[in-house]
Amino acid sequence: MKRNSLILGIIAFIALVAFPLVIPNPYYIHLAETILIYAILLFGLDIVVGYTGEVSLGHAGLFGIGSYTAGALFFKLGVPFALAVPASIAVTAAFGALLALPALRVTGPYLAMVTLAFGTIIQILINEMTFLTEGPLGIKVPKPSFFGHKLNEVEYFYVAAALMMVALIVVNRLLKSHFGRAFQALRASPVACDCMGVSVYRYKVFAFVFSAGLAGLAGSLYTYSEEYISPNTYNFELTILFLLAVIMGGRKTRSGPILGAAIVVMLPSLLSDIELFRKIAYTAVAIGVVASIWLLAKKRKSLREIAIPLTATIAMAVFSYKLENIIDWRLTIFGLMTLFVVYYLQDGVIGFLRNLLEKIWPNGFRKVDEYGALANESLAWEKSEHSGKAGVDLLHANQVLMQFGGLKALNQVDLKIAKGTIHGLIGPNGSGKSTMMNVLTGIYKPTAGAVEFNGGVISGMTPAAIALGGIARTFQNVQLFGEMTATENVLVGLHHTFKSNVLDVMLNTKRYRAEEHRARIRAASILQFVGLTDLSNEEARNLPYGKQRLLEIGRALGLSPSLLLLDEPAAGLTAPDIKELVAIIRKIREHGITLILIEHHMDVVMSISDTVTVLDFGQKIAEGKPAEVQANAKVIEAYLGGDAGSNAGAAELSAPPSSTPIPA
Amino acid sequence: MDIFLQLTFSGIALGMIYAVIAFGYQLTFATSGTLNFGQGEALMLGALVGLSLAGGVMGGPYINYWLMIPLVMLFGALQGVVVERIGVRPSIKTKNEFGWIMSTIALAIIFKNVAENIWGKDDLTFPSPVSSTPFQIFGANVQIMQVIVVLGALAMMLAVELFNRKSIYGKAVVATANDSDAAGLMGINTGQVVTFSYALSSATAAFAGVLVAPLTLTGATMGTALGLKAFAVAIIGGLTSGVGAIVGGLILGIAETLTGYYISTGYKEVPGLLLLLLVLAIKPSGLFGKTTIKKV
Repeated sequence: MKRNSLILGIIAFIALVAFPLVIPNPYYIHLAETILIYAILLFGLDIVVGYTGEVSLGHAGLFGIGSYTAGALFFKLGVPFALAVPASIAVTAAFGALLALPALRVTGPYLAMVTLAFGTIIQILINEMTFLTEGPLGIKVPKPSFFGHKLNEVEYFYVAAALMMVALIVVNRLLKSHFGRAFQALRASPVACDCMGVSVYRYKVFAFVFSAGLAGLAGSLYTYSEEYISPNTYNFELTILFLLAVIMGGRKTRSGPILGAAIVVMLPSLLSDIELFRKIAYTAVAIGVVASIWLLAKKRKSLREIAIPLTATIAMAVFSYKLENIIDWRLTIFGLMTLFVVYYLQDGVIGFLRNLLEKIWPNGFRKVDEYGALANESLAWEKSEHSGKAGVDLLHANQVLMQFGGLKALNQVDLKIAKGTIHGLIGPNGSGKSTMMNVLTGIYKPTAGAVEFNGGVISGMTPAAIALGGIARTFQNVQLFGEMTATENVLVGLHHTFKSNVLDVMLNTKRYRAEEHRARIRAASILQFVGLTDLSNEEARNLPYGKQRLLEIGRALGLSPSLLLLDEPAAGLTAPDIKELVAIIRKIREHGITLILIEHHMDVVMSISDTVTVLDFGQKIAEGKPAEVQANAKVIEAYLGGDAGSNAGAAELSAPPSSTPIPA
Repeated sequence: MDIFLQLTFSGIALGMIYAVIAFGYQLTFATSGTLNFGQGEALMLGALVGLSLAGGVMGGPYINYWLMIPLVMLFGALQGVVVERIGVRPSIKTKNEFGWIMSTIALAIIFKNVAENIWGKDDLTFPSPVSSTPFQIFGANVQIMQVIVVLGALAMMLAVELFNRKSIYGKAVVATANDSDAAGLMGINTGQVVTFSYALSSATAAFAGVLVAPLTLTGATMGTALGLKAFAVAIIGGLTSGVGAIVGGLILGIAETLTGYYISTGYKEVPGLLLLLLVLAIKPSGLFGKTTIKKV
């Protein structure tokens, strides 16, 4: 895999060097230069769109800020290229932060609209702030000079190509590192990401600011490339073009943005030639008809599924035949292409090709896990830095009240967890167990009362801070990062072990490589402990349900917690799986980790818990050793209703051999 | 002072238009959690179709302004159904948020471009159905059309509210808005309800288009900025609150006319968009919105 990308890199390098020599036409060199510049921006946009899964409609605005920073610095102050470009990156990144800090508090359609608003403001400001930007007149900037020598088109092409390669390498390193894993994790499950100590908000802002920096770099290069900038370039259409390029090329790849850039830069020139467009449309129909017949013959698709795209392609061909002036219909064609890509080419061209290759060569893309051999169960454990004094209560929830409207999900609950114990938390459905978990991990802020952990108050802190403080958890409904492998899931849990910053990652320093190496060995060791070594490179969503639950525990162990909260770990597990789980829980405790266990399997809870607390309707109704709780009249009433103390109820609750959960 | 008052009155009329469009966003957001990024284009198409029916651009006028309104709303409803079927439904099925955002944007671009090719790129004047001689309130000039805009916008929102509260079909809409899955289990065809909400939303926008057109110019580009600012209104007021839409609309409308006069017309779009960023930073659920509790 590594060698392949090295070969690809060398081929790309040679192609870039050779291009101006083979095709000396300045028009084409300029076109290629624009593709390189767009590619830089698209690498950044892909971080936001492909990795963190947010839609930004503000990248044309950011591109404009980059362009105008370089332009105005040259025009007003005569700042040289070598200073103007870093300044553009810094200024654009600062604007990106200004936008991201408020906007990323919300997600999805909100962010899309907000970034759209931002793009609109930027265009207005560029137009109106004539003292800085010369308004609609635009700014003329000559090609940069170095030591008195003014670069020509070919030389500038090499500058752009070199910077594109640098951007490519830097982005690639970032996305392969713990930062890239955090971006993917926060998209897959924001809640789980926060509970692994990776602050969703902070990493989203970081991704956006980094992306803005790249837009700034691209913008400043664009200024020198065009030698003239005016406000109308940075409009809504350009934003759509950028997005189209990213999704059409292929998200979450580096080749996708380059291909996408090539497509959108060439598109206007292709579309200006109606004859060519007609030929493309006819070819599309021919391919469409052949493909449809093949799909129908093989019964891969039904007539209904094929009808819409086929009709659309034929309509397009008829339309192109009737059309006289294609330039007027350019935006319609963009729109149709976007619709097509969104519905039929979701993984982009690169993704489509990769899927095709994977079908032909199912094992060609399988990576071998070289860390599996280095795994050793003993390496899975790292002494938690947060281990307080022995014999003292590790956690103390004091009179916690959690109110949702009129409903008191937790009503003045006290909970003390002794260090080194397994503490069972049971109660009928709706009794407030999961609410308690959410309060302890900071997902809910209690209406009143406080939670103390290791002697400090943690209620009110963010989930990420609490997780880093030493409380890890699993989820009742599994919250894995589905598209990441089992190893990567655990690595997200190990995120806190990385002290390297962005610069370390970008420069691939020794410190970063050592940390990555150590984390991977530990991840392999943790996977060995939970028995998932064979599945380490499998995507989490493809694992069987029981294994997913074990992987969640493994991921939580990555945090080196002093307290681990398990929310119904045995739910949906088969009897042999449950046995394995109980053994794992015992082993975790032997390594000095305190556990809170929510579980409906009474035999599990009663056999391994040191203390059991029972909740009902948000109130604590009993607490004590398993045997005491089982005999408690209130508990039996809560579970079985009716008169307390009925013998049948007591028998049901204390029947260890039956593994049937209590119906509640 | 007279000028200030007059600007306030224009701001109110403009603000009510924003409120109606924002209301349209709320309708689809409530039933399906999706928004039509082409809401502004629905307004633009409404205005241009209205102009073709009641104005002279297509060899008309064929019918008078008041009779044209229901036809335009019908057109808007059909347009909304098209948007929902092509742009939104496939993405709701696959729970693909990126999908519906991109496809409603794509449809918006297509509508705008088609409109440019049919009606041209230049702005057209929309003949006013009432006398354009202003009358005076406290010394400030007010156009009759402005009053009609305010009343029309209020009537439209009131009609939708009444429909939702009093009719059985409206109850289906409210039920779907509250819990789509549960509504589906009770035998409500939630897919149909979503389609209906898109039809209603676009019809509202088209109605807003013919209301505002006599006061402004009509053209293919009129919708984009209106749609964007109405979204700002929906966020400022809160995406779940009808009152919020009105209050947000008035705040933005007045802020805009005042900025346009006292600072510069070039900057008149800026306060609303800044307000939007500010509200998001301080209270993301909007001034009148409810904060939802995420379940784990």
